[in-house]
Amino acid sequence: MNKLVIIIAMKIKNEDDLDNYIICHKCFTLHKIIPIKDGYMASCNECGAMLYRYDTKLVDKSLALSISGLIFFILANFFPIVKIEILGHDQFITISKTIFTLIDSGFYIVGILCMFLIFIFPLMILIIDIILFTLLKLRRSKKFTKTLLVLLAHILPWSMPDIFLISILVALVKLIGYVQIDMGMAFYALIIFVLIDIYIVKKVKISELWILRENMILKRSKN
Amino acid sequence: MIDVEENRLIPCPICNAVNIDRGNKNICRRCGSAIYQHKNFITEKSWAYLITAIIAYIPANLYPMLITNKFGTHQSSTILGGVVHLWENGSYPIAMVIFFASIVVPLLKFFILFYLLISVKYPFGKDKKVDKHKLYYITEVIGPWSMIDVFVVAILTALIHLSNISIVAGTAATAFAISVFFTLLSAHAFDETLIRENIKDSK
Repeated sequence: MNKLVIIIAMKIKNEDDLDNYIICHKCFTLHKIIPIKDGYMASCNECGAMLYRYDTKLVDKSLALSISGLIFFILANFFPIVKIEILGHDQFITISKTIFTLIDSGFYIVGILCMFLIFIFPLMILIIDIILFTLLKLRRSKKFTKTLLVLLAHILPWSMPDIFLISILVALVKLIGYVQIDMGMAFYALIIFVLIDIYIVKKVKISELWILRENMILKRSKN
Repeated sequence: MIDVEENRLIPCPICNAVNIDRGNKNICRRCGSAIYQHKNFITEKSWAYLITAIIAYIPANLYPMLITNKFGTHQSSTILGGVVHLWENGSYPIAMVIFFASIVVPLLKFFILFYLLISVKYPFGKDKKVDKHKLYYITEVIGPWSMIDVFVVAILTALIHLSNISIVAGTAATAFAISVFFTLLSAHAFDETLIRENIKDSK
């Protein structure tokens, strides 16, 4: 099925009027932004991807979630994730131990890569989110929020705690039958952290945050 | 008043704001990032990363991924060997997860990126039947999941290191991590607006 694409010449007053348009991030269709009710979301009519939401509570929700995410992230890092018993010896892992064993055994590239993917970037995203949502809530600092949002967009694709969680499960299934496995407290903390991370990373889109920033900060400075 | 054609509007890759395509150098009006539109060099970066990834993928499959030292005997297994071993032991779901994450996903990504890079530059890929935006979206979503194997090796190495029994990572771990890293870079370096331009040209 070939769709006929009609090229329309639009007339706009100035470049800022382009803020009333949005291009779908999945299929690149141009849409005009229309006002929607609180709690509703607009999706693309070509591919069904979410375009934007109108949610007055989004800043509060995300701020609360990123703070609790940070607490669970700290818990997940300080306590052992898994304890095993093998030949009468107790062994355990933490996130930092996983990284440092790799570096100690000479795998510098993999070790440093893992350090960034499962420790530094997730932590950075949480801290950036906390600062960003606090600033948005206080409705201030136009310039700094811009820097934070650009930085956030660059590191978002490189944070992989969810993949690390699945890897732990895969590794444990490989060990079943040879060793006795006890889940540590950090494992449950990690599960909660990953769920929060999925919400604030995958569900809240970057373009939404820019729209929020415009509504919260820029509109106020005009008044 | 500015007159602008709808197909000259491009999204910023960083903040998704709508911008007017002005030809060579576009700076996003909202976040200030560069939106690359240098027609001749646009795919070179992506090609370079992709070729690096493919080269690194070869030793990743030839060298051992995991080396198990058990009471003085060494046993090493490659990625494919590990999958076969798991399958023979009866843990089919895990064998499938590892097979999917470390063999199907990287190869699929290589093929999709290869196809996309060729199709935006050379005329024979200009068919409208394949939804290239969807293909690109698939590579972005499944891409990071090939890291599973590297993480599993890291966890096993950290867990089991007794004097009698120890698991050590092999050379393939480094090669595989590099390969995945460069495929991710290649996918990010690819400019999605080229797909639309490609479709536009063929009209």
